[in-house]
Amino acid sequence: MSFSPRFRQGAKAAIPILIAFVPSSLAWGIAAQAHGLKLDEVILMSAWVYSGPGQFAVLVPLAEGKSSLQVLLAGFLMNLRFLPMSAALAPYFHGVKRVPLLFASHVISASSFIVPYLQFQKEREGLSDDSGGPQRIDGYANLAFFLGVGATSFLIWVVGTGVGYGVALGVPPGLEEALKFILPGYFAGLLVVDVKGRTMALVCAGSLVAAIPGALISSGWGWLVTAILVAILGWALEQWKCRAS
Amino acid sequence: MSRIVIILIMGLMAFAVRAGPQVFFVGHKFPEAWDRLLRYLSYAFICSIISVTLFLTGAKFESQLAPYRGAALMVTIIIAYKTKSAVTGMIIGTIVLLLLGWLR
Repeated sequence: MSFSPRFRQGAKAAIPILIAFVPSSLAWGIAAQAHGLKLDEVILMSAWVYSGPGQFAVLVPLAEGKSSLQVLLAGFLMNLRFLPMSAALAPYFHGVKRVPLLFASHVISASSFIVPYLQFQKEREGLSDDSGGPQRIDGYANLAFFLGVGATSFLIWVVGTGVGYGVALGVPPGLEEALKFILPGYFAGLLVVDVKGRTMALVCAGSLVAAIPGALISSGWGWLVTAILVAILGWALEQWKCRAS
Repeated sequence: MSRIVIILIMGLMAFAVRAGPQVFFVGHKFPEAWDRLLRYLSYAFICSIISVTLFLTGAKFESQLAPYRGAALMVTIIIAYKTKSAVTGMIIGTIVLLLLGWLR
């Protein structure tokens, strides 16, 4: 299959993601303006970092002029989740040259990973069923589909950020409190909808509570350390339970 | 270090994480256990940041505003859970925060 139809197929499959990206990108733009970031910084961050949770993680320390090491570490740890996503997609791009792969990898995000990944799995299973054996993967066709999802999502994210920033500029004074609540409120809502399993819920509740004493002990690093500890504790408990059962 | 430089470095680091497996990981499978740990880490970070953003300014606990923000957060969580919609939860939580602010 040539590039264009497969790209369009990806873009169509991305419609649910785009619907979800509109409010989150608006919320990010509004929050960034409310915390005093400039428009060029906000747009650069959305286009170059392109990571909603990662951008959220660094918003307050960046706006407050905290240590650059702290900002970078927070962003890096948050963006580490792209590692397994990218690794899971890699086999489906078999045969594609490195340069297009490197460019395409920039638009990997949680949302733009799930849709192509499930699609590729479904197609591979379909091919195996039809022929009774494994089939050769068309890496370029898969890349076109992935770009259809990823590029449209990326565009919506960057444009939505700029629009959100503009919206925040037009909000009358006295509503800063509400503007600053929008992004954490949105992420809290996302987590509630997304959390599955008791361990995940415990990790979320534990880190929510532990962050406050952590940050009171060390405003820069405390919440980072408590989040890492709670996550490792939750993970270790789960591993232990898995081995015990 | 200026904010722009920090953003540029942060973007480079994000790119390295995204692009690395495409170059070095082809044909390998990421261990499930490590995948779970990274997922827990990002969830824990988001929750910590929600807490720090809402309840603290620098190293100071916002004792006067915390009850209002906490109430708005609870409403957001309950509404998002009931409706399965983060946007609905966020909008209603924000409205609650505004109302509480006016009543204060």
